[in-house]
Amino acid sequence: MAQIGGIELANVTKQFGDTLAIDSVSMIVPPGTYCCLLGPSGCGKTTLLRMIAGHDEPTAGDVLIDGQSVLGLPPAKRGTAMMFQSYALFPHLTCLDNVAFNLKVRGVAKAERRKQAHEMLDRVQMDGFADRVPAELSGGQQQRIALARSLITNPKVLLLDEPLSALDEFLRLQMRGNLRQMQKEFGITFVHVTHTQMEAIAVAELVIVMDHGQIDQADSARGVYDTPHTTYVARFIGGQNVLGGKVVRVESGAALLEDARGNRFTVPSGDPAPDTGETRYLSIRRDWIEMEKLADPSATHSDAVNSVVGKVWMTEYQGTWVKVSITLPDGEEFVANINDGTFFANPAREGDTVVARWSAEAVHSLEHRESSFDTSRGGMQA
Amino acid sequence: MAQYRKRSWTFYVLATFFILFVLFLYGPMLAIYILSFQGPTGGLTFPLNGVSLHWFGALFEQQRTGDFAGSFTRSILLAFLVMICTVTFSVMAGLAFRRRFFGSTAIFYMAVASLVMPGLFLSLGIGLIFRVIDVPTNWYVSALGAQLTWTLPFGLLIMFAVLSRFNRSYEEAARDLGATNRQTLQYIVLPILFPGLIAVALFGFTLSYDEFPRTLLTVGPGNTLPLEIYAMTTTVTSPALYALGTVTTVVSFAAIILSLGSIAIIQWRRGGRFRK
Repeated sequence: MAQIGGIELANVTKQFGDTLAIDSVSMIVPPGTYCCLLGPSGCGKTTLLRMIAGHDEPTAGDVLIDGQSVLGLPPAKRGTAMMFQSYALFPHLTCLDNVAFNLKVRGVAKAERRKQAHEMLDRVQMDGFADRVPAELSGGQQQRIALARSLITNPKVLLLDEPLSALDEFLRLQMRGNLRQMQKEFGITFVHVTHTQMEAIAVAELVIVMDHGQIDQADSARGVYDTPHTTYVARFIGGQNVLGGKVVRVESGAALLEDARGNRFTVPSGDPAPDTGETRYLSIRRDWIEMEKLADPSATHSDAVNSVVGKVWMTEYQGTWVKVSITLPDGEEFVANINDGTFFANPAREGDTVVARWSAEAVHSLEHRESSFDTSRGGMQA
Repeated sequence: MAQYRKRSWTFYVLATFFILFVLFLYGPMLAIYILSFQGPTGGLTFPLNGVSLHWFGALFEQQRTGDFAGSFTRSILLAFLVMICTVTFSVMAGLAFRRRFFGSTAIFYMAVASLVMPGLFLSLGIGLIFRVIDVPTNWYVSALGAQLTWTLPFGLLIMFAVLSRFNRSYEEAARDLGATNRQTLQYIVLPILFPGLIAVALFGFTLSYDEFPRTLLTVGPGNTLPLEIYAMTTTVTSPALYALGTVTTVVSFAAIILSLGSIAIIQWRRGGRFRK
């Protein structure tokens, strides 16, 4: 099936009164992509979605779908369909009438629209529920009706506003697989808004990480997880430890940093190389860290390059690995995910002083970005 | 798990007070309902001199005492007119007030102000104006207007309550699915709000049906029922008056049961009962 539904935003800005909700955002979503808009609440992701849908108009900039500007067009003329956060199924209509609503307002004859609606219900495995009203359905069933109601309009782009937030954990995992499958089956673009990192990484081909009405990084799922560009993305996605320090010297493509405690790290110097005294940030994946107990419990820093010293304050068994949370002397949290076999060969206990080490190749350089996001609340497990 | 627990003395004081209040509330009305079944030779007070429907029959004969049938018809028609106007305008105003338009605050306070204006003076003023512009006062013109000054703000306030629970994403979803504004209103907004509209209609009807001060000086030559009853209390000396009280109560109750019943049926349907 030919892939349709390419989206392009060109310098889109949205202001509500004095508040700048979206600050000159440009992005391209190729046709037939599963795209996630990811960010903490209030970052502007839903506003962006609503502007693509036509429920809000940008203050400045342009929105194009398959190369055509859709500014000023009503939602139905844009080739988009939106699935609302709580689904907004019409409570007074049966599932069949909900799904057939678009056909009804377009003037399709009753017999024909019932036939088409039954077919669409069948595609989401809900035909047995045609005569029920939404209040009789579970959250997952309601979601499938909402999906059918949107897809019957033959959209090029399906916009999903937090589609899984109303479901419990088990259904969430099941339905996110379903959504991915539906997207492949219909060959259209899905834009899925979420604040859950795991959800975005699991379903999306293109993850757009947002904060403060701006895009921080638009990348593949692996890209945002493995090679975050900024301290904000690294902290928000989780799975990474973020450290910073002042440049001491630069040699052979690597900069040597030193933090306030005297720990030293190397980071690829990049181009152009930083000046001495500049502050640089780096991330190291939590699962690429080695840990060793120290005999001296009062140690606060390590003399070896690429290591930190801290006290274990919590260990969490996760099955194939153990999550070890270490508090550094300056109060920062540092996490090491240690393979379960390695960990239990010489287990660290809460309160132990440990040194955490990593190889220079595991380090990834970051751009610094201030963020309102509180790292203690977010970040995913792995 | 009925378990004996010693109640404090305040319970008995408050319970006694409550019982007295209920007696005060329903006792007199109950006495009137019972006395309306007074035998043909009975009087205005207890004891009952036999039981009959005589006085109900007497209501429908044109008598020297009053015009029950005429005033009853006028009251019911007027109540329906008021109800239709109240629902129509309250719904439109309620929907309009969801957006802030120029002067919306001023209009809102003006509408609410007519709730606190003394009805009798309002009635007096309207009567006066009609005399000045030389239009005869009549129940379906001046009295209708006077009653609307009372029912419209009431209806508007109920609509605010109804709309505050209305999720705007229903409208957005309808528009997203290609519905025009008219289709959204017709197929989505009004049907979802329908139980609320019944409540507005019920208030419009009952407020009009027993309205006294606003009608008093605006009604013109033909009385509405409350005015007629008031006139009869001074002239009628038979239990027909009580029969009238019973009949009007039955009408009010019928209106309430009809409204609440249909609201209940709609809510049941949306909960999924009554499926084919």
